Amino acid sequence: MGALSVLERMRGLREDRGAPAGVRAPQAATDDADGPFALSVRNLRTVYELGHATVQAVREVSFDLRPTERLGVVGESGSGKSALALSILGLIEPPGRVGGGEVLLNGRNIVGLSERQLSSIRGREIALILQDPMSALDPVKTIGAQLHEAIAVHNPQLRRSALRRRAAELLREVDIPQAERRLDDYPHQYSGGMRQRVAIAMAIANNPSVLIADEPTTALDVTTQAQVLGLLDRLVDEHRAAVILITHNLGIVSEFCDSVSVMYAGRLVESSSCEHIFLGATHPYSEALLRCVPNPERLAEGPLPAIPGFPPDLSALPGGCTFAPRCSVGRELAVCHEQTPVPELVEGPSGSAIVECHFARERAARGSR
Amino acid sequence: MTGVIARRLLGSLGAIFGASIIAFVIMRVLPGNPARLILGPLAPPSTVHSLYRQLGLDRPIYVQYWRYITQFFQGQWGYSYSDGAPVRTLIGERLPATIELALFAFLITMLASIVLALLVTYRRRPIADRIVRAIAYIGFGTPPFFVSLILLIVFFSTLKILPGPEGRLGAQVTPPATVTHLYTIDALIAGEPGKFLEAVEHLVLPGVALGMANFAFLVRLLRANLLEVSREPFITVVRGKGLRRWTAFRRHALPNASLPTLTAGGLVLGEFLAGSVLVEKVFNWPGVGSLVYEAILKQDFSIVQTFILLSAVMFVLVNLGVDLLYAVIDPRVRVRSVVTA
Ligand SMILES: Nc1ncnc2c1ncn2[C@@H]1O[C@H](COP(=O)(O)OP(=O)(O)O)[C@@H](O)[C@H]1O
Ligand SMILES: [Mg+2]
Repeated sequence: MGALSVLERMRGLREDRGAPAGVRAPQAATDDADGPFALSVRNLRTVYELGHATVQAVREVSFDLRPTERLGVVGESGSGKSALALSILGLIEPPGRVGGGEVLLNGRNIVGLSERQLSSIRGREIALILQDPMSALDPVKTIGAQLHEAIAVHNPQLRRSALRRRAAELLREVDIPQAERRLDDYPHQYSGGMRQRVAIAMAIANNPSVLIADEPTTALDVTTQAQVLGLLDRLVDEHRAAVILITHNLGIVSEFCDSVSVMYAGRLVESSSCEHIFLGATHPYSEALLRCVPNPERLAEGPLPAIPGFPPDLSALPGGCTFAPRCSVGRELAVCHEQTPVPELVEGPSGSAIVECHFARERAARGSR
Repeated sequence: MTGVIARRLLGSLGAIFGASIIAFVIMRVLPGNPARLILGPLAPPSTVHSLYRQLGLDRPIYVQYWRYITQFFQGQWGYSYSDGAPVRTLIGERLPATIELALFAFLITMLASIVLALLVTYRRRPIADRIVRAIAYIGFGTPPFFVSLILLIVFFSTLKILPGPEGRLGAQVTPPATVTHLYTIDALIAGEPGKFLEAVEHLVLPGVALGMANFAFLVRLLRANLLEVSREPFITVVRGKGLRRWTAFRRHALPNASLPTLTAGGLVLGEFLAGSVLVEKVFNWPGVGSLVYEAILKQDFSIVQTFILLSAVMFVLVNLGVDLLYAVIDPRVRVRSVVTA
């Protein structure tokens, strides 16, 4: 987590964007599926079938992403964030598989397309950035070769000299000094931050309309984190890409994103604008997550609170609300343990949200915290 | 680069030194007087004594070692105790047969393990995976001479589709004109496809017998290695760029997996070149292994001693070659060595 308090970051909230699409009711979104959305995910389900158990990593997830919108997906590790990212790209590998749902990319469902069709979409319409800059680049190929590959795969007509020129341009675009010369270096000759810049360069090489970044700065130190995030911010604006930024750092979300979805046990339990979440999260889990963010003004009060208990086992989910056993509100309530809450559109003081909680309405009206 | 080479060379010299000590010590701790062994039980004691002195066996042990090791590297490997011929000539005559068998076994072992490892990792066939693991398990636990016997019983005695234990060629077939001493290649050079096939037929069973245990080792290693590499994040990244699964596998997983394969391949080739005494014996293969087998029976220790050190040298040379190749292929080794050199 960054050292700045959430409140401080909130002052820098991005204000120049329209209402985030994430808060639209699912039915409304289905109606204009070929409408303005860059990406619409409908009831996406992903399971890992391990001989003895079936892990439900993504459970009927739906959301929408407008062109140039930036959606933050936050949640504890193991909540299915990476599985969601890979499912959208059609990159789930056995023993996992996408068990159902739709991924509408610029209006076209890409679930179930052949590897050939998918590969012509990946990198061109939708691109991916992964967390670990150490292992995200092939150690035995030069940076130049890996950039060439990203360009050439969608531009087979380009010749070597043109590829090289374009690769150097990309490196310059991500602020690598002496770009020309550094093309011939290998990944181990780059620092972690520089490698992540290269990963970003590869991702934007073909101007994708959607960029999925899975914890792109988690493995970096704080200073480098800020630089890489700043770079991503600039490039995403320049290339007019919509972004799904997966992170467990709420500070990054408040700085970078327009909207946020909180993921818990394979579901998005609260989706709203950043304002709504940071000024008064409705779901008790979102609220608990926010309380775990360090706040310099309250450091003297003692150690950071942690959410008690552990996330549920995704291969043996309890009935009712999956958060109930850890929930400050519903831990003792029969309704929470017995009935699965349905997504509800609620209005809070700072905007609307879709929340999966039996007490969503009352909590939203109260403005939570 | 030079730093890496120097370090590898030093390591290799260490290994050869170790083997030379073993070969040397074996000779010294064996019961009996080598001079007596050479001259036979009927020679008079004075003759035995003068040969003893002539062989330097009365000198201090380190002098003997020094003499032994310098002579070895000058190619003076002494004389056979049993028939007085120079050991170098005896081994030289047998070496091509061993090398041909080793290369053939190496070729089929590598091919089979690479193809099978690809099948179970890329094609993801769980049943094939189970079969490969079973083969590997059996191959690993079965001694080569036993595999040899089974192969002979099945393919020679029962099915009669491959020649029996009659060496490199059938009795009626004359070897092709000598160029490389390897019959398969010489037959091709001489333009005699019939002899080429004959030579290959004779190579199949001993080659498989020799390769089986190492095939088991290799296929398991490659399988684990390919699985690991294909789960690396950079493979996901590369597919995210738009490369198809096979292209990503071929361009990125295979090159990364090839490095450990190279090392393992070097070990295997080194082992094959060192010869297999028992497999050669079973198939009457006229190689160094059979020579050593006969030498052991006749207590002809100058041959055994030379064989031990020679095997070590070949093993080390092959692996030194692999290490150098590794340094050329892997940029991490290459660049690091540039920095440290
Ligand atoms: N290759 C895999 N095999 C089996 N289970 C997996 C695999 N990848 C992810 N999972 C399971 O799916 C769930 C979600 O994982 P993941 O998407 O990586 O979470 P996150 O990215 O939020 O940390 C976890 O319970 C994890 O154990
Ligand atoms: Mg993850």
